[in-house]
Amino acid sequence: MLATGPADWDGPALSPRAFLAALQLADSAFPSGRYTLSHGLESLVQSGAVTVRSGIGGLCSLLCDQLEHGVASTDGVAVAWAHRAVSETVRSGYDEQLACETDRRLTSVKLSQEMREASSRTGRGVMGTALGSFAGPALTAYSRLIRGRTVPGNGAVVIGLLSAELGLPLIYAVATELYGFAAGWLNAAMRLGVADHRIMQAVLNRCGPVMDGAAQKASTTDLEDMASCIPLVDIMSMRHEQAALRMFAS
Amino acid sequence: MKDQDSGQMPHDHADHEHGHGHEQEHGHRHEHGHDLGHDRGHAHSHEIRDGLDGPGLERLAGPVPRVGIGGPVGSGKTTLIEALVPRLVASGHNPVVVTNDIFTQEDARHVRATLSAVLPEEKVVGVETGSCPHTAVRDDPTMNLDAVQALTDRFPETDLVLLESGGDNLTLTYSRVLADFFIFVIDVGEGDKIPRKRGPGITSSDLLVINKIDIAPHVRADLSVMERDARAVRGDRPFVFTNCFSGEGLDEVLQHLDASGMLSGSQAVHT
Repeated sequence: MLATGPADWDGPALSPRAFLAALQLADSAFPSGRYTLSHGLESLVQSGAVTVRSGIGGLCSLLCDQLEHGVASTDGVAVAWAHRAVSETVRSGYDEQLACETDRRLTSVKLSQEMREASSRTGRGVMGTALGSFAGPALTAYSRLIRGRTVPGNGAVVIGLLSAELGLPLIYAVATELYGFAAGWLNAAMRLGVADHRIMQAVLNRCGPVMDGAAQKASTTDLEDMASCIPLVDIMSMRHEQAALRMFAS
Repeated sequence: MKDQDSGQMPHDHADHEHGHGHEQEHGHRHEHGHDLGHDRGHAHSHEIRDGLDGPGLERLAGPVPRVGIGGPVGSGKTTLIEALVPRLVASGHNPVVVTNDIFTQEDARHVRATLSAVLPEEKVVGVETGSCPHTAVRDDPTMNLDAVQALTDRFPETDLVLLESGGDNLTLTYSRVLADFFIFVIDVGEGDKIPRKRGPGITSSDLLVINKIDIAPHVRADLSVMERDARAVRGDRPFVFTNCFSGEGLDEVLQHLDASGMLSGSQAVHT
């Protein structure tokens, strides 16, 4: 059963400091380049599948499906396992092998080239912002692999490592990632003219229980079970790669 | 009070002596070095510094100098790049171009075709901005930095990166992390009132380019008014009148780039 409020929650508590870290990472002003991504939505709008008449219900259905079956089950799971590479490593340092395996698996379940590249660019963006200021030793070490191009450096993996280093408990790190996706997707919807500011906030609020449940599921999913099943969005993403006109990078 | 766009502390250039000692042509000066907490030029007595020992944050996206070009839609940003690149190549430079002003495949083809004689098309890349041109070069320049890194990795001979922002309004500025030198381009066709409307690009860019001087008579624009107002609102910062089609003023633009170290091939590793 999905949690509906604090009274239902018996998971880890969130300290104010960790809460502030989550706010920082989820802030649309956090420099990660995510504002350039529409996650397939631009093609859905160009094709006429999503219009201004889609409304709260239509946008919410689409976003929730994408969150559950495309984002939480891939990026969400990757955040969790990258987090574990830091938070559940007893010895000093971090589990580099686990981080690498998570990274490569995540790339393997992103079907379109555009989605893979967007994810890696986001990872490099987050890394570039955090390195040298508030990134810890794990992300600093992992950044050498990313810069050496031996790993794809997906955004979710970078964020998983960084979240753990900032003391954000695993489930909250996953929830933060899902929130970041949803808020970015809805921002794109607004810029594409299919949502206004009220609709955006209404959808974001309505998706809350789905994000909650999806975050809990992603936090308990085995790495081997990472999977994506959003064929319409994948096709739209592939169309977007060939689009004659585009404002977004995905 | 902090300048909203540039992150710099405002100060009145007319009230005190800077002591820079490197006068530019026409008595203009560069590199005012009043960035908050960083050593980008010359220290001022009123500069707020972070007091940290050692170098600041690492320079992102490599040492190659980066010139950011911004300005309103249609003012001539692309044309300026298309005019500068052949001159740079002829003088032995190896520029690459990162443009945010590509909205359609047609735009991309135009830029690449125009420069095809002097620049391989792989050296011109477009960055989508999600319809947020300000964000892409100011608030969150990560995608542009990533494009710069990729291009300079791929073409290690690169000694200058020209960045073009999406066409926008008068409020655009570049992040100093992204652009070492900021050129703001306006044009005579927008009206001779534009310089006195100010805005951070007009007042604070490293170089203001006033383009399309040839059409002044046709749009009833008075260049002497634009010159007077530009001088008034920019203090000692330089501006240049150009006609990018005829080439007028372009040598002067290049002289300003050279005087600011943009043609030296490398920037300091730490900011």
